[in-house]
Amino acid sequence: MERDCCDHSRRQMVRSLFCGSIMLPAVFSHLLSQEARGEENPLAPKTPHFPGKAKRVIFIYLPGGASHVDSFDYKPKLIDDAKNGRLYEGKRTLLTPLWEFKPRGKSGIMTSDLFPHIGESIDDICVINSMRGDHNDHFQATLGIHTGSVTFKRPSIGSWVSYGLGTENQNLPSFVVLAPQLPYAGGQVWDSDFLPGVHQGTRVVAGDEPVANLKRRAPSGKIQEAELGLLERFNRRHQLTRASDPQLAARIKTYETAFGMQREMPEVLDLSKESDATLKLYGLERRQTTGFGWQCLVARRLAERGVRFIELIDVGASKNWDAHGDMKTHEPLARNIDKPIAGLIKDLKSRGLFEDTLIVWTTEFGRSPTGEGTYGRGHYCYAYSSWLAGAGVRGGMVYGKTDDYGMKVAENEVHVHDFNATILHLLGFDHTRLTFRHGGRDFRLTDVHGKVVKAILA
Amino acid sequence: MKAFPRIAAAFLFIGPYLLCLQLSTRPVSAQQPSPEGIEFFEKKIRPVLESNCYMCHSAHSKKLQGGLLLDSRDGMLKGGTSGQPAIRPGDSDSSLLIKAIRYDDAKLQMPPAGQLSPAQVKDLESWVKMGAPDPRGQTASAQLSWQPYDLDEARKFWSFQPLKNLPLPEVVNKAWLRSPIDRFILARLESKGLKPVVAADKRSLIRRATFDLTALPPTPEEIDAFLNDTSAKAFEKIIDRLLASPHYGERWGRHWLDVVRYADTAGCNSDFPVPAAYKYRNYVIKSFNENKPYDRFIREQIAGDLLPAKSEAEKYENIIATGYLAGSRRFGSRTKEFDLTIDDTIDNLGKTFLGLSVSCARCHNHKFDPIPTKDYYALYGIFNSSRYAFPGTEIYPHPADMVALTSGQEAERFYKWQKELAALDDRKEFLTAESGTAARNKAVREKQLKEAGQHSPEQAKSPDKQANNQSGSAGQNASPNSEQKKELHSPGELRPADYDRDGVNWSTASKSTRMPEEVLAEAEKVKARIAELGEHTPKVEKAYAVVEGLPANARIHRKGDSKDLGEEVPRAFLSILGGQQLPPDHKGSGRDSLANWIADPNNPLTARVMVNRIWQYHFGKGIVPTPNDFGSRGAAPTHPELLDYLATQFIKSGWSIKAMHRMIMLSRVYQLTAVDDPRNSAVDANNDLLWRFNRRRLSAEEIRDAMLAVSGSLKGTMGEAHPFPPESDWRYTQHNQFFAVYDTNCRSVYLMQQRQKKHPLMEVFDGPDTNAITSPRPLSTTPLQALFLMNNLFVHQQADSFAVRVGMAFNTLPQRINYAFLLAYGRRARTSEIREAMAYVHQLREEFQSVKTPPDQLTRAALASYLRVVFGSDEFLYVD
Repeated sequence: MERDCCDHSRRQMVRSLFCGSIMLPAVFSHLLSQEARGEENPLAPKTPHFPGKAKRVIFIYLPGGASHVDSFDYKPKLIDDAKNGRLYEGKRTLLTPLWEFKPRGKSGIMTSDLFPHIGESIDDICVINSMRGDHNDHFQATLGIHTGSVTFKRPSIGSWVSYGLGTENQNLPSFVVLAPQLPYAGGQVWDSDFLPGVHQGTRVVAGDEPVANLKRRAPSGKIQEAELGLLERFNRRHQLTRASDPQLAARIKTYETAFGMQREMPEVLDLSKESDATLKLYGLERRQTTGFGWQCLVARRLAERGVRFIELIDVGASKNWDAHGDMKTHEPLARNIDKPIAGLIKDLKSRGLFEDTLIVWTTEFGRSPTGEGTYGRGHYCYAYSSWLAGAGVRGGMVYGKTDDYGMKVAENEVHVHDFNATILHLLGFDHTRLTFRHGGRDFRLTDVHGKVVKAILA
Repeated sequence: MKAFPRIAAAFLFIGPYLLCLQLSTRPVSAQQPSPEGIEFFEKKIRPVLESNCYMCHSAHSKKLQGGLLLDSRDGMLKGGTSGQPAIRPGDSDSSLLIKAIRYDDAKLQMPPAGQLSPAQVKDLESWVKMGAPDPRGQTASAQLSWQPYDLDEARKFWSFQPLKNLPLPEVVNKAWLRSPIDRFILARLESKGLKPVVAADKRSLIRRATFDLTALPPTPEEIDAFLNDTSAKAFEKIIDRLLASPHYGERWGRHWLDVVRYADTAGCNSDFPVPAAYKYRNYVIKSFNENKPYDRFIREQIAGDLLPAKSEAEKYENIIATGYLAGSRRFGSRTKEFDLTIDDTIDNLGKTFLGLSVSCARCHNHKFDPIPTKDYYALYGIFNSSRYAFPGTEIYPHPADMVALTSGQEAERFYKWQKELAALDDRKEFLTAESGTAARNKAVREKQLKEAGQHSPEQAKSPDKQANNQSGSAGQNASPNSEQKKELHSPGELRPADYDRDGVNWSTASKSTRMPEEVLAEAEKVKARIAELGEHTPKVEKAYAVVEGLPANARIHRKGDSKDLGEEVPRAFLSILGGQQLPPDHKGSGRDSLANWIADPNNPLTARVMVNRIWQYHFGKGIVPTPNDFGSRGAAPTHPELLDYLATQFIKSGWSIKAMHRMIMLSRVYQLTAVDDPRNSAVDANNDLLWRFNRRRLSAEEIRDAMLAVSGSLKGTMGEAHPFPPESDWRYTQHNQFFAVYDTNCRSVYLMQQRQKKHPLMEVFDGPDTNAITSPRPLSTTPLQALFLMNNLFVHQQADSFAVRVGMAFNTLPQRINYAFLLAYGRRARTSEIREAMAYVHQLREEFQSVKTPPDQLTRAALASYLRVVFGSDEFLYVD
């Protein structure tokens, strides 16, 4: 279906070029005869190492560090000790989680009132309560979860997936990032680094120009079409004596794709044809183009149109989940994302996309079970929570365990590398073999680490 | 919001710390073992070791693990790379070997395949308790040196061999030859039965040479002059003219900036701007324009501050040159990760000058090349003995250790000001830490007072001791190593480059006995003083540079962990390249010696690596296709004899880069056309043997500069400082990073480039990596590039200026189009192209009319539309 859509726009472009009076028919025979040739196109769909359950990823990332003991990691002893003023190991103050935990779903998994809507979908979710990172600073930990490296610049997970799988829709980027603000480490979060530039994440923001240079600047569509038509002629003529150069042929194709993107991207972002019921599912008002509901619904539309990796970042590098001063600041942030995420799960399910879309929910680290100041919590990479849902993941399960206080991983640690290895596995990759030769050695997302968490696979 | 969780950080480092404490004593000396002891060993111990341990821990191990030898008494007492003995005779509980076989510690469990039987564990424990009687003494294995490579064998690898001066190869088609270079190329081609393509026409050649040496298109006048010059030396004159152009340095300096990963920001979590960085950039450009001998260029960048200078100006230039080292990447929000910055220095230095990935040896001996970890720390010591200018970070926001490019009172005033600010930053951080201690002190005192009311007053002790006991996070934060460092180096003194300001501030603060009110009062004062100093910033020229620090050898960081120090390593050069050490009476960091070792004409790598870079930028591909890796994982040279010939000539010419350009560009092979030849490409599709010239896409900078040049908007002067906000206004944090894009019509080499966010143009057209060595640049072809060329404001502005330029120059459309072609493509427009253009402009005038463009603007708008097509076309974006 996506392919049809893509072909349609391509033909449409050619046809519209035809209408321009100055074009020569010879050019079109070239253009129409040329199909996307895989070897010329680094984004052509590729087969992974083995058939993966997931065809695409929606990666939800919460900047600042969302608290595990307030959301998905129920710690009755922590609650009890904290309420009664008992110190951790006799010297450190424990902070009471602010939200009540209840068993939810058929699985009866305990989750808190911080995310009541996500809680309702818990039977579709696999919660991992034994996450472990390598760094307690935002910047480094953010890069850790995205690139596998807390120090050096490396390609983002979305770029790796794009590199490994290509993409289904040549009119849209393979890796789209919906981020109203820049996260820690800015664009490094979706940088392709040493992987080819086509695998770089394209940031989309709501508004007049969702992608840089996307908006037609020529004063009318006809003028732009005339320019593209003439350009095609120039380039074909130039190529006549340079026929064997694949780069030149590829460049001709990029204008076509760019034109398609210019047309298709605004269409993706135009929610006017969505029903009231759908909008409601995401908690959206009609014509609303802000908030996480908008991001989630756009993510579904991108997923439908064959985009390979969609990352959603709710807030930026400040005023985020970094609740040093007061845990209550989690409340409005949670309200912004809770219903939209639950809506996204339901919507994907009703459209049959849930089976082959992997949803990842993560943050750069958790928050300390001990308090910071009177009401806040510190950074905490030694144990925290994330979750997976959708393609190939067992729903209604909790994997891994922390100790009574959520301080240390007690069972089945899932290091960031293991988490990333598992995501790649679900897409059909042996994470040790998805490599790229750079500077004399093969690099991979998981460095020299990573174990696939087999127990959570459906 | 704090940048760093103190409590959590303590956990991070507590592991290795404990290990150090427990195993700090030296192994006891060997005693003569008793016969019973020997019997016990032979019966109970040797068989267990042989069948469970020797596979990985003996002289005969296929691959020795952890450097640990268990097949001799000495090996056991010495231990492996951890530096701790495996056994401590008489004390089984603290013997690492016993710990490992007990399987108590999840991180230390041996043998890995499965635990020994309880009886075997018990035997080994008893054996150690009885003093570990061992008849094996010193076997051959214990004599193994630290050197894990056979250097004589390793030196046989091509790149470590001295330059070979071979006779020029014989060829059949001697008439084709124009320079010795051609002999090497043709000999290979003939051996494969390939015939080079024909020579490029003069228009292509001047366009190629002009972009190649200046990254700009040739002007119509320059093209005419070349076409009209029928002398044999016509092209030679072009080369000389281009080499003398100030734009030459902007092109080739940019290549160098790619290699040294130049940026105008630091790369830390907040990406602090470095306003003085541009001086190094301009120094590089100037050095290329002056044809500075390459060996001199090396010495200046590594040790410019230590070179003799004839004038103040020369001295300052030499200091600015060390901006190469200062430009090393910065990490984190604090200072405690400076070992990573030194690693970045070593990584770049190794790849830039030697083509070796030295930094692979940071955590372990290099897996592929003969570079032991020891060599890495021999270099580490040199840089750790230097002082890097500090750009500021989130926690210590004021730049420090900048070098004043002035002398006398003016310089002294500046240094005093700068030092005070740095000390205030330290004090501020200390007070932040102290406020926690003070709060606890207060709580303790209140409790005591309360208790004192109930009990006898003697029991109310001073809060000091108790506060200390509870100091928690900050106290745990400091490892014994930083503890030692702290005692040695108080702020303001000379200290190692990797000195940890955080560790010192926090551990000192944890011992405070003050009350919150005192701390708060001082914090107010510190804040006021910082503000006061900010208002009186001395106006002094500064350099982002490196000077001498505290000279000392470094100790190995085991597994790259700066908190886990191993043996001390004397500062020295790489073993494989001679292993020269600093002379015993050397007083400084050793950077001067290092620069000499690298720039030594007998160093087999330095000249080879540089001529290969020059070749690569001319041909699009190096003779060694991996210009930063001349090690065993790199690609072998396609023409090894040619590489050695060029390197020899390079040294002979006095390391003259411009002489290399002339030599290469005057060869026949440089002047071939870029057209394909199916017969040749069937044999050598990649054109590795250079039977034709490689067509290339313009770089990001060339695209922008060529548009500015043909539109007449290019500002040809050298770029200066960027309009950064004044230092006193900086409030950058990882939550609020520094991001900016500054517009200019100067050449693109002068654009402000950041480490954490690419300039939009660079992002789209494969600009340089500002975080690590780039070369060669990947050249991608993406739809986002197409969107840029279709819709970007800059492109539209330049097309409009271009339309105005050709419109002002000529009255008729054919003349205008022809002029545009000459400017943009370096050729005249064909009659058919002119006809096409006229039809297009005619049609587009109507289109613009229908979108209400004012009548007097129609031609201009239509022409600009046409010229956007020219900008987007392959003929503009590629060089044949």
